[in-house]
Amino acid sequence: MTTKSKNSRTYKSYHIWSWTLRIFHWTYAISIIILIFTGLIINNPPVLSSFTVEKANFFFSNVRQLHFIAGYFLISAMILRLYLLFFGNKYEKIADFIPINKQNFKSLIHTIKYYLYLTPHSEGAKGHNVLAGTIYVLTFLFSLIMILTGLYMLYPETGWIKSLGSFLFGTQQSARALHYLLFWFFPIFILTHLYILVWHEIREPEGLISSIVSGKKFSRSTDLQ
Amino acid sequence: MLELKELSRRDFLRICTAITATLGLPFTYVETVQSAVQAKRKPTVIWLHFMECTGCSETLLRASHPPLGRFLLEIVDLPYHETLMAGAGLQAEESLHKAVKENKGEFILVVEGAVSTKDGGIYCQIGGRPALQILKEVAKDAKLVIAYGTCATFGGIQSADPNPTGAVGVSEIIGTSKLINVSGCPPNPYNLLATVAYLLTFNRVPPLDEFKRPLFAYGRRIHDHCERRAHFDEGRFAESFGDEGHKRGYCLYKLGCKGPVTYANCMTLKFCDIGAWPIGAGHPCLGCTEPDFWDKMTPFYEHLKDVPIPGGGIISNAEKIGAIALAGAGLAIAVHAGAGFVKKALKNRANDENKKEEGA
Repeated sequence: MTTKSKNSRTYKSYHIWSWTLRIFHWTYAISIIILIFTGLIINNPPVLSSFTVEKANFFFSNVRQLHFIAGYFLISAMILRLYLLFFGNKYEKIADFIPINKQNFKSLIHTIKYYLYLTPHSEGAKGHNVLAGTIYVLTFLFSLIMILTGLYMLYPETGWIKSLGSFLFGTQQSARALHYLLFWFFPIFILTHLYILVWHEIREPEGLISSIVSGKKFSRSTDLQ
Repeated sequence: MLELKELSRRDFLRICTAITATLGLPFTYVETVQSAVQAKRKPTVIWLHFMECTGCSETLLRASHPPLGRFLLEIVDLPYHETLMAGAGLQAEESLHKAVKENKGEFILVVEGAVSTKDGGIYCQIGGRPALQILKEVAKDAKLVIAYGTCATFGGIQSADPNPTGAVGVSEIIGTSKLINVSGCPPNPYNLLATVAYLLTFNRVPPLDEFKRPLFAYGRRIHDHCERRAHFDEGRFAESFGDEGHKRGYCLYKLGCKGPVTYANCMTLKFCDIGAWPIGAGHPCLGCTEPDFWDKMTPFYEHLKDVPIPGGGIISNAEKIGAIALAGAGLAIAVHAGAGFVKKALKNRANDENKKEEGA
């Protein structure tokens, strides 16, 4: 392909993400960012209040409340995504982006090669590419564990939560340690997620970043024919 | 020699009232509990000691409150208790066999201490027989088994890593079908007496939690009912032993208090009849009523740091690993982006050279 025809390449927009998925994404993203910062404070709270000086505040209580509220938003977001995994549009369904068939597995390998600069062209997945999709499913599972350990610690006397929590995680201390360990996955995920987005956006003008706001992506018009 | 004086009427009523309160029953139940524990036919209790420090019996028989031990003898028939009994050697063994035989299927078995299972259980033997064998034999004929103390319930310090004798709690040997766990290191003696009183009063097992502990005693986390909870909510913490916050009695969360992860009733029942308990005395909770607390709750003065992770490693590693992974991800991103730039630069140069060649 010559330089001239590359410059005159035409793109067409197509609808990909439903409003439900976009609401999921932003609820999930914002709640996780709040959870990360409030979680760090709960793990090691600053001493801001004392009886000996005129300094009273409910900072720590407010931080904990914010953590729990964000937790509930996370649960709501997860319920939306769970619904879409099975009843969403073609690109939102789980079968589209996990390596369960030969084609998806091939596309997984292709994306890994592409990210390692071993092949110059993206495989041009319409929805999630399979590598991203697999990581998202993993993130989904980790979020589920975070939610369950969190609920176990928040409601230590609620019958079914206590039974489920002790069945899955054992003691409260084990659940707390797991909750803390898995925390580290999320900042690393956010960092990588943002980088790959920007990197993709520079190399392939698909409108990947704006798609999570507008719901539309762009594809080479030849691909769509 | 320990002397158990006659129990006064006043002490008897006082303990009955305390037990009724421990069970969470209204005051009107004091008489019901009292008449139930005073019934003519006393239940037989056989008390076995295995790998332990006898601290559990010790709390029951503390010199500060002699009536407690007396009370136990008042409400049950105790033919075999290695620490208390006068008999020794063959004579003692004889009384165990006799007691088991005479009360087959009727007696309550209290077990104190963990059981060794490694190499056929030879690391704990009484009268030349492994504890493992004794427990199996006696428990088979028991109506109900009460594991008293963290060693008997969850293995205790003997079962802490690396557990050289293969020590386990009673539940690992006889299952949980007729087991009640009264854990703690040491457990509060009132929780044992209250469990027995519950059995006598209602003739059934009290409601138990997932680890077979009575809910009346192990239904709430210490943190959720702690007298220092207000300091936690309002952000007043002791940050090191003896600092200003510690002197003023603020929350011990940052000193590694395990109250937030420990189910027990220490914060309401307290100890030694004088209202003392660890957190009240400025010492963080160690979480002694929870399974594997020697492995999972240590180091005692760290909130989460240095906590062992199942499958090897400790949390402080994890914290470092987490930070390193985060930094590593950042570095990988930088390298990846750098590689992209370099590749592009090389490609541009190659293009330029091609053009030059084409031009020439």
